[in-house]
Amino acid sequence: MASIVAYIELRQGAITRPSRFVVAEARRVADAAGATVYALLTVGTLAPSEIDRYAAEISAAGADRILCSSSESLAGPPIDGTHGPLLAQIAERLQPVLYLFPAGGTGTELGCPLAVRVGAAYLANATIDVAAEERGPETVSERVVLTRWRAARDGQRRLDLGDLERPVVASLACGPCEAPLGEPYTEVEMLRCPEPGASPQLISCELDDATASETCSAMIWSASDLDAKAKAGLPAELPAGVAMVVAGGARAPDLENTSPRELFLLSPTGGDESPPLSMLAPGSTVIQVQAGTEVPR
Amino acid sequence: MNVLVCLEAPSAGRAARAALDLACTLATNTKVFVISAGGPATSAAIGLARQRAAVARIIHLDDPALDKADFMNLGLVLAHAARHVEANLVLAGERSDQEGQGLVPAAIAHHLKAHLISRVQAIVLSPAGDAVDVTARAGGQICKVSCPLPLVVTMSARTTTIAATNAASSAAVETIQLAQLGLDADRLVPRPDLLGALVPAPAGSVRTMTPEEASAALLSHR
Repeated sequence: MASIVAYIELRQGAITRPSRFVVAEARRVADAAGATVYALLTVGTLAPSEIDRYAAEISAAGADRILCSSSESLAGPPIDGTHGPLLAQIAERLQPVLYLFPAGGTGTELGCPLAVRVGAAYLANATIDVAAEERGPETVSERVVLTRWRAARDGQRRLDLGDLERPVVASLACGPCEAPLGEPYTEVEMLRCPEPGASPQLISCELDDATASETCSAMIWSASDLDAKAKAGLPAELPAGVAMVVAGGARAPDLENTSPRELFLLSPTGGDESPPLSMLAPGSTVIQVQAGTEVPR
Repeated sequence: MNVLVCLEAPSAGRAARAALDLACTLATNTKVFVISAGGPATSAAIGLARQRAAVARIIHLDDPALDKADFMNLGLVLAHAARHVEANLVLAGERSDQEGQGLVPAAIAHHLKAHLISRVQAIVLSPAGDAVDVTARAGGQICKVSCPLPLVVTMSARTTTIAATNAASSAAVETIQLAQLGLDADRLVPRPDLLGALVPAPAGSVRTMTPEEASAALLSHR
């Protein structure tokens, strides 16, 4: 049976929302195409009870099996020098047809080198469509199509998984997290982490507070702090998956790895502080919030 | 140490420009080379390199095959070029302004048997010249890692680096053919299926909401 591997990213000790979304999307594709969903969890040295806690959450998101590698060399951020050999080992063993990475930059860090290593096609900030196709009077097959924007936003690239004779690696634009699709218990297979050899050594790490926009599925965009009035009308704590960006703020975010599906504009577009629409995921919606009144609580 | 900056032809994107500017800050202790594969020798990318006094060598890879090369072949060619000029640190933009996948740097690293660090913000050379300390964004953190050489690093378009000076490079543009790198252009067969089919951009979905509607939509966001 074909395999789909979904990479699970942890941030501040928690499974990221885009990671749960990636597992849910893998489940949707696997149900249509008849495949097994493997979730890959890479962690530093952890107690089995901690691993079981993560596994229950991943399992509930829709994974059939969980592959976990626990090693001090995997304790740092996901970079190819430390995590790449493990991904290569899994690629050789399972030969997956589809590798999915969550939104937030992991696709760039791990997906690109993996795609090159295994000769796969690669799509960044992609979306997945599963559609039935009639191939005869009684024959219906499911097509799995991945879509992404070109960076120049002058067209889209589409890949039909069934038409390719090579695997596909994709990072997915984050979408809504539905209710749990699976049961909170799945077999966990522990994998030995390959010795990375002369790999990059972590010196120090600090929290990057500009990354909330990377993992959001909805973004509120304001041209400047002058719009703080409208911002003040929003709930003090935005729902999970919603990020607020102030273009004229002191720390404008890096939007290279951002791909929201909904963009709420609190200011008219057209100026220098307009949002870069190239970041939007395929099929996304831009919502212009009518100016003149505050957004109510 | 030789540092090689890759600029896409015919015009370098914003991320590649950031990579060039960062490389120029390393010029005190290194030799900074710039390479552009394909396009004319008078391209905007080459012109950009000529505007940087810190650039010691400007290389134009000239072969019609390069204009149709896919990312794997382009990475192969640039890795060979890096070996040719004995570069042990390669800088590139995270992704081009056109296709925007970020695969060429990964392909260079693969063929150069080098490590790849993406989304780099700063680079400090070790005194011995056998490693570099790199500050990069990864996994929701800003991390500093010590990396052995050879190394390929990428920079995003947002990365702030030095302002360009008015001084120009004194280096002449060298043209190198693929054969000089030991490569046969006929063997660089493009694989269009790696990118997928190009389809027209659909009409964007734009809606207008009252503040009340927007607030309700946000609060019900899953």
